[in-house]
Amino acid sequence: MRRFYKPVLWLAGIAGASAIAFMLGNYATDVYRKMLIWIALALSFNFLFGIAGQVAFSHFAFAAIGAYAIVILSVKLSLPFGVAFVLAIILCTVLALVVAIPATRLEGFYLALATLAFAQLVTVVLNEGGDVTGGTGGIAGYRLPAVFGVTIRGPWYTVVLVLLVAFTLFILRRLDQSYFGRACRALRDNSPAAAAMGVDIARTKVIAFTVASALAGLAGIGYAYVDNVINPPVFGLENMFLLLFMVIVGGLGSPLGAIAGTVFLYLAPFLLEPLVGPGFLVVFGVLVVLTILFRPGGLAGLLSLVPARKPA
Amino acid sequence: MADLPELIVSAAASGCIYALMALAYLLILRPTAIINFAVGEWAATGAFVGVAALTPLAWPRLEWPYAAALLVVLVVLGLLGWAVEVLTVRPLLRRRAAVISPILALLGVLVIFRESLTLIFGADPLPSPPPFGFARVAIGPFAGASQQFVIIAATLALFLAVWLFFERTVWGRAFEAVALNRRAAALMGINLGRVTAAAFAAGAMVAGLAGLLMSPLTSAHYTMGLPLAIQGFTALVIGGVGRVEGALLGGLVLAFAEQLGARYLPIPSGLTLGFPFVLLIIFLFFRPTGLIAARGAN
Repeated sequence: MRRFYKPVLWLAGIAGASAIAFMLGNYATDVYRKMLIWIALALSFNFLFGIAGQVAFSHFAFAAIGAYAIVILSVKLSLPFGVAFVLAIILCTVLALVVAIPATRLEGFYLALATLAFAQLVTVVLNEGGDVTGGTGGIAGYRLPAVFGVTIRGPWYTVVLVLLVAFTLFILRRLDQSYFGRACRALRDNSPAAAAMGVDIARTKVIAFTVASALAGLAGIGYAYVDNVINPPVFGLENMFLLLFMVIVGGLGSPLGAIAGTVFLYLAPFLLEPLVGPGFLVVFGVLVVLTILFRPGGLAGLLSLVPARKPA
Repeated sequence: MADLPELIVSAAASGCIYALMALAYLLILRPTAIINFAVGEWAATGAFVGVAALTPLAWPRLEWPYAAALLVVLVVLGLLGWAVEVLTVRPLLRRRAAVISPILALLGVLVIFRESLTLIFGADPLPSPPPFGFARVAIGPFAGASQQFVIIAATLALFLAVWLFFERTVWGRAFEAVALNRRAAALMGINLGRVTAAAFAAGAMVAGLAGLLMSPLTSAHYTMGLPLAIQGFTALVIGGVGRVEGALLGGLVLAFAEQLGARYLPIPSGLTLGFPFVLLIIFLFFRPTGLIAARGAN
């Protein structure tokens, strides 16, 4: 039974999320697409932070690298889209490795600071990149080219984003449920014990960081064709904080929680902003503090039928 | 090179602000091992509270003298820091939550402070009057705005006081003991809860002072906190997280590297914004103890 059950569930989820794309108007499509990008980012960040225990502030920086790489390579250097796509992914992966190899040696919050510094450097470079990155205004006025003769437009691009989320979720589930995922969790909870059990600490940390960051780059590529505009503020620290909050409120380490937290915090401003005005983020701050204090399991802890583990 | 003396004054003033921010981190980090990013927002809060007390913003026709405004800033920030510790950090420490939990909770506090400032004071920058007017002051070749000299003098005085506090008083010794070994300190009869609360109150006061001192040069604005938080932390990493002198040295090194680099290096001025981050990365990887190492437990 279980053998059939799982693929059916996946297909039903993809079909359901895709069907929504065909029912939405222009504005709602834009909202929905950005939510899908946020979910993809939250899933990989949840793996990095919630499962591998690395507080990395570089997640949006890698999304920026993916987005800028694909646009610069395909538009400014007029490479074929397929080639540009592969090169962009390779660039993200290599840069992630370059950051990960020294950064994952840093303990605890020092990793957060090193990745924060890296992320801020990326923002400075994007702002000062002149014609290459378009400076503060970014790059605009390009469109998704035909890929192998197929032009993807309208709701079909939303379907591509649904598949992007499904792909991210699939990869991360597979990793999580493998030896590698258990090694990551062991490292997070007690690294000396994990090392004693034969987990290669440095390698596990570097791979977790690289995979999650490459997936962030992929989400960035998806984002590049949502508005057909990319600019530095989107990939800044503000959104990084929001992503962190989504994963915390959703429940660290749980993919379903990451999705729930993202949908909740992404849609909340549409309700809150008319009520509270521009300072509505104060509600998010309160929510995060309350979650950490009283519900360390987050939304996932509330949703699951199993009683939450005793707070760590 | 004719503008070098003025550049030195300006770099020293910025460096002193960074040093104060680093000190705010350090006061909290030493006894609790908690990196509190909210200090940047506390600096912004200090600036806004100062503006509210000094200008006819909150209470019409009541423009307080500077000393009173300074006192108000210190009292308000001290209370806020204490309240944050009691409400968010203490419950987490008590139930032995993961080390990262209070740091993340304080990121939530950061957002609460910043957005509250926007809600209360609006999103526009508010000018802040300097205590000695806008006159320029020159000491020999070293010329600058009076406020820059106020910043330098106040910072040096505060650092001397804090240094004396740690070296000469029982309370300072208690702080240091908790920093070296929480458990042993508790066994020696030091009240950990009280030291932690005092650390947060003191950190908030120092951050608030930094914000108040800086505001005449930059205006009070709700986005001023995060850059200060990052620069202050960079200064702390450069100087070393263990010693009060390290915070001062780190702040000055950072500011001089930034401003001399922006002036004399042949690179676009925008790229010099990346300087603190490059320094932060270099120090994290190659000299994580900073320029001045912590005193060992002996």
